[in-house]
Amino acid sequence: MALTAVEKTLAAKSGRSSVQPGDVVYPDPDFIMIHDGVVMGAKRELDALGISKLAGPDKVVMVTDHDVIYGSARAAERGAFNRKAARDWGVRNFFDVGRGGHGHIFPMESGMLLPGMFYFDNDRHSTNAGAIGAFGFRMGTEISRVLATGTNWVMVPKSVRVWIRGKLRPGVHARDVGFRLATLIANGTLDADLDYRVLEYAGELDQFDLASRAALCSSPTEVRAYGVFLPPSEAILAHARAVATRPFTPVYPDIDARYEAELVLDVSTLEPQVALPGGVHNAVDVATAAGTKIDHVFLGSCGSGMYPDLETAAALLKGQRIAPHVRMFVAPGSEASTQRMAREGLLQVFIEAGAVMLPAGCGPCNDAVIGPVHSGEVSISTAANNNVGRFGAKDAQLYLGSPATVTASAIAGKITDPREMLNTRK
Amino acid sequence: MNTDFQWRLKGRCYKLGHDVPHAGGVVPNSIIAGRYFDPKDIIPHLFEETDPGFHERCKPGDIIVAGRNFGMGPKMNGYIAMQALGLGLVCESMPFLAYRAAVGCGLRVMTDCINVTEMCDTGDELEVDFRSGYFINHTRDVQREYPPVPESLLELIELGGNAGWLRQWWQSQHKEPASPQVSGARG
Repeated sequence: MALTAVEKTLAAKSGRSSVQPGDVVYPDPDFIMIHDGVVMGAKRELDALGISKLAGPDKVVMVTDHDVIYGSARAAERGAFNRKAARDWGVRNFFDVGRGGHGHIFPMESGMLLPGMFYFDNDRHSTNAGAIGAFGFRMGTEISRVLATGTNWVMVPKSVRVWIRGKLRPGVHARDVGFRLATLIANGTLDADLDYRVLEYAGELDQFDLASRAALCSSPTEVRAYGVFLPPSEAILAHARAVATRPFTPVYPDIDARYEAELVLDVSTLEPQVALPGGVHNAVDVATAAGTKIDHVFLGSCGSGMYPDLETAAALLKGQRIAPHVRMFVAPGSEASTQRMAREGLLQVFIEAGAVMLPAGCGPCNDAVIGPVHSGEVSISTAANNNVGRFGAKDAQLYLGSPATVTASAIAGKITDPREMLNTRK
Repeated sequence: MNTDFQWRLKGRCYKLGHDVPHAGGVVPNSIIAGRYFDPKDIIPHLFEETDPGFHERCKPGDIIVAGRNFGMGPKMNGYIAMQALGLGLVCESMPFLAYRAAVGCGLRVMTDCINVTEMCDTGDELEVDFRSGYFINHTRDVQREYPPVPESLLELIELGGNAGWLRQWWQSQHKEPASPQVSGARG
């Protein structure tokens, strides 16, 4: 039987020749990820049940990315708790403060997460794995069962496919595609239900590098996709081979696989997008929001935290200063990116422009533990979403844009089409 | 299998409409934000914003019948209360992660029961077998068959959800020689 990418992956990891949507399987994951915000809950839950040993401590990856710089005594206490938990459980793959970065970014850069892999994660942004041709499934609080037993039940999701037609114009970014796609699905223009579906991209995908592919995974997640997948291009495979820490087998959907829905999105005429406050699915052309005065800018998150995203921003910022009334926070996706920024001069560009560098990780996008917005303020960012209160005051206005759009806006002090600045630099 | 477990519930219908969110519709948002997971803390607040005192009027075996898209938000709080009160849940659809949360709480739940809200009204005498999918409205004398709880999830619900399943699994690991294989964990 012809299989979609997720069906093929789950069949392989469950020791079956085939699966179909609705089947319940128990995949054997390549690894299990848990982040700093939920270790305490999982540890206490397992301790209360008397479960002191994990099924496979060597498969467990602990990551400190949600609250990296402890801004409170409570956060410092949690950090200490997590370190003790890692010792008690015997978890050696512990990427603590300053050691890895964003759990949904650095494993793809470092060769931990490779094409064809499957892993369990407590966090829903594990959908990022699709950027490299893998799957990460969110378990929420059920990550405790995965830690204890090594697996959990998974109902094979249905798949929806979107065909990308055409090429992006200069100044338009993969993040813009994601905002547009989420909006067209949410308003019914593209007819598909993404609840617990895997969104598989197809079509003209060679134009998207790993960072752009992570951007394409972001917004569908916010409109309830459970997985996102891009078949790895030659360039992605070359990257994977160069960094791989172990052998891997890429997965591609069968040519005659069946999808619940097939959508087409022509990106050749797409304008830079801005998601208006309230959700990624509120996207409009940047011209509609241009001129809105801003107070706060954030560059980073699982959707826009890779080195090319930082390069895009640095190209605009070089020799410029951000507007005097704006504060701009930058959180690279990995410690490796921060180090490379230092080597290649990007760090200097950001600092001289007046931006504030944050440690690699989630930045303000996690519950405003750092760099939040105040009541009545206006923010434009590359955060995962702009739901009410995502990073601070509930009555703040949170806009989203691509790395280029938020950086151009930081310089101008108001929401700005990045092409205006790209054109003047030529 | 737990042979004492009641898969067939007989009780009164409590009907809800479409698009009832977990926060506000099932329990007040303060219960979710306050991270209350003890049934005794949640029960007084079940359906509090739409029907104060529900928890005093409902009886074990009563069945909540909801429309499409029930329980938006992958939260467990309301299902913990429903399970502790001995209620069942039958709905036309629910977001998958809401369904997963309900199963994880050990709630007897059936979803994808198309048009089930047209088959009953609040107060009707219902009988639902969650293991076979058999639905009877004795008041109206109608019978339907809906998709039952999947075979592979029966044990999880019988054991009271995730915590009960894990407790049982851990005890079984210590009774028998421990199996080193991950696949042995599927219970």
